Amino acid sequence: MATIAQPTRTTRSRPRRTGGGSGKGRSEDRVKLILYWLAAFLTVIVFVVPLLWFLMRSLQPGAVIAAPPDASSFFDLSTDNFRGLRAQGDMFRAVGNSIIVALGTCVLTTLLATMAGYGFGRFKFRGSGIAFGLILVTLMIPFQAILTPLFIQLSAMRLTDSLLGLVLFYSTVNLAFGTFVMRTAFMSVPDGLEEAARLDGSGTIGTFFHVLFPLVMPGMATTALFAFLAAWTEFLGALTFLTRQDLFTLPVALVNLQQGTYGQLDFGLLAAGSVTAMIPCVILFIALQRYYVAGLSAGSLKG
Amino acid sequence: MTLSDTTATTVARTRAATERHIPGRRKRRPLGDEGTLTHPSSHGLLLVLPAALFVCVFVLAPLVFALYISLTNWPLIGSYKFIGLDNYATIGRDPAFWQAVLYTLIYTAIVTLPILVLGYLMAVVVRANRPGSTLLRTVFFLPYVIGLSTLSFLMVLEAQPNSGAVNLLLKALHITDGTTAWLVNGPLATGLICALIIWAVSGSTMVLLLSGMQSIPREVYESAQVDGSSWMAREWHITIPMLRRPISMSLILSVIGSFLAFSQFFIMTGGGPGRDTTPIVLYIYQRAFVQLQVGAATAASVILIVVVAAISAVQFWLLRAED
Repeated sequence: MATIAQPTRTTRSRPRRTGGGSGKGRSEDRVKLILYWLAAFLTVIVFVVPLLWFLMRSLQPGAVIAAPPDASSFFDLSTDNFRGLRAQGDMFRAVGNSIIVALGTCVLTTLLATMAGYGFGRFKFRGSGIAFGLILVTLMIPFQAILTPLFIQLSAMRLTDSLLGLVLFYSTVNLAFGTFVMRTAFMSVPDGLEEAARLDGSGTIGTFFHVLFPLVMPGMATTALFAFLAAWTEFLGALTFLTRQDLFTLPVALVNLQQGTYGQLDFGLLAAGSVTAMIPCVILFIALQRYYVAGLSAGSLKG
Repeated sequence: MTLSDTTATTVARTRAATERHIPGRRKRRPLGDEGTLTHPSSHGLLLVLPAALFVCVFVLAPLVFALYISLTNWPLIGSYKFIGLDNYATIGRDPAFWQAVLYTLIYTAIVTLPILVLGYLMAVVVRANRPGSTLLRTVFFLPYVIGLSTLSFLMVLEAQPNSGAVNLLLKALHITDGTTAWLVNGPLATGLICALIIWAVSGSTMVLLLSGMQSIPREVYESAQVDGSSWMAREWHITIPMLRRPISMSLILSVIGSFLAFSQFFIMTGGGPGRDTTPIVLYIYQRAFVQLQVGAATAASVILIVVVAAISAVQFWLLRAED
């Protein structure tokens, strides 16, 4: 068993390791490096290959996906599925709906969170603690659990079967996180910088645009990215709040596709639709990883 | 588990719980309700108001409304009346409810530990800055970013008998003959879904643990190395104890995520065969929007809210107690 053994002190300059000989430390490093490359290799197999496989699936005709693999047809790749998707009015509209909802959520969340972050981060006012606590509550209440009342309420407000309704809902879901990120961003701006602008006569809004904006921009990018990805991939809310087919977002339209609502289930279309849902996430994440990681590490455990 | 929501939640929860413990971080300016000449309090209030309004309308109102509905025989159309705790009694007598609760617990029990272990191993692999480790971090996290609903659709294809990748792989390894119809068999579907989830969400645990690991001072390891302890011993006696907080955090978050699981079940099995793969959120969804029993569904929701809030409270308490 690996316990911390009392090392035998010798005259060697290199401290001995349990049961080891001289140079063990270096050879352990080598072992570690080999293990690392082994892990990297395994990772590629376990994490990258499936994604590439999915990509390939989207380029295979539906009949090939559904049949046992046959060397003669398996690699007949074409973009026919994506063309089919383009021709399928409902699916094509669903992609558009998803883009509208994701962009709308992204903009609204960032706007609300930036304002709130500015307020909480740089102003003192009565009730600021309560207001912040209020927004914090969103984190404790999973929206999955208030789906029924939310549905009834939204339909009373005529916000079901509405992309606007979905945007408002998604923005609220993302608001707590965004507000946290933005509050930290505003709090980390040195007081002196802002005061200088204030003394030059800038008001609250002017100071934001002239001085604070470039400093809190990374926080805004983080908020926007999280909101976009959340709205793009969200499923349960869209499934519940949308019943009109022409308003479906991509994940909900894919359910229809899967259940054969648009006619015979075509595996090729399902694969291509799923890959269409997947690609923006992958591209955005890789391109803006810096901001994503910033968001995560902003919440990391520094205590 | 709704993915992105959970990531965001992870971060903000972590932060909410940690922030107040960081000495000297909080009080940037003297506390006081009064604004200053350059920072009038009315401006602060105005800036915060829209966000607070959204939270009131779309979270707090439905929350209160949930309690109210759960005490009525709410129909989607028409009048309703108060029926006290009848909905709760109905739910309590419904074997399907208990089946869903049990299933959710089993599912949670299956995935929680593997997610932690896999996430931990991933973090160990990428924590040192070796060539390619940034790329590996990205790769580990990719499935999480793509989201469970998209991955579930793709898994439906790959779970098909004879043609899906899962079967092709198992056949190639001579484990099965490749004809398994995964999604129409309760235990098999559960196994496949669990495997998918473990694969997809371990990356988020990795991220949580990684930032914890990187904050452990290097000297601690160096002195242990000098003492001649093995790698395993160092992990066991140094890393894990120092990561108590991120570990309990990621455990709690993954438990909450599992309690709220929906998409993967809805998409891959629809809860079937029968009710064999119906977790609690899917049960609530079906009760409300398929059977149109809004009152009963909401009663189940209220129970879920209480459970999740209790877990969150434990989490906040844990994080506070640690400091």
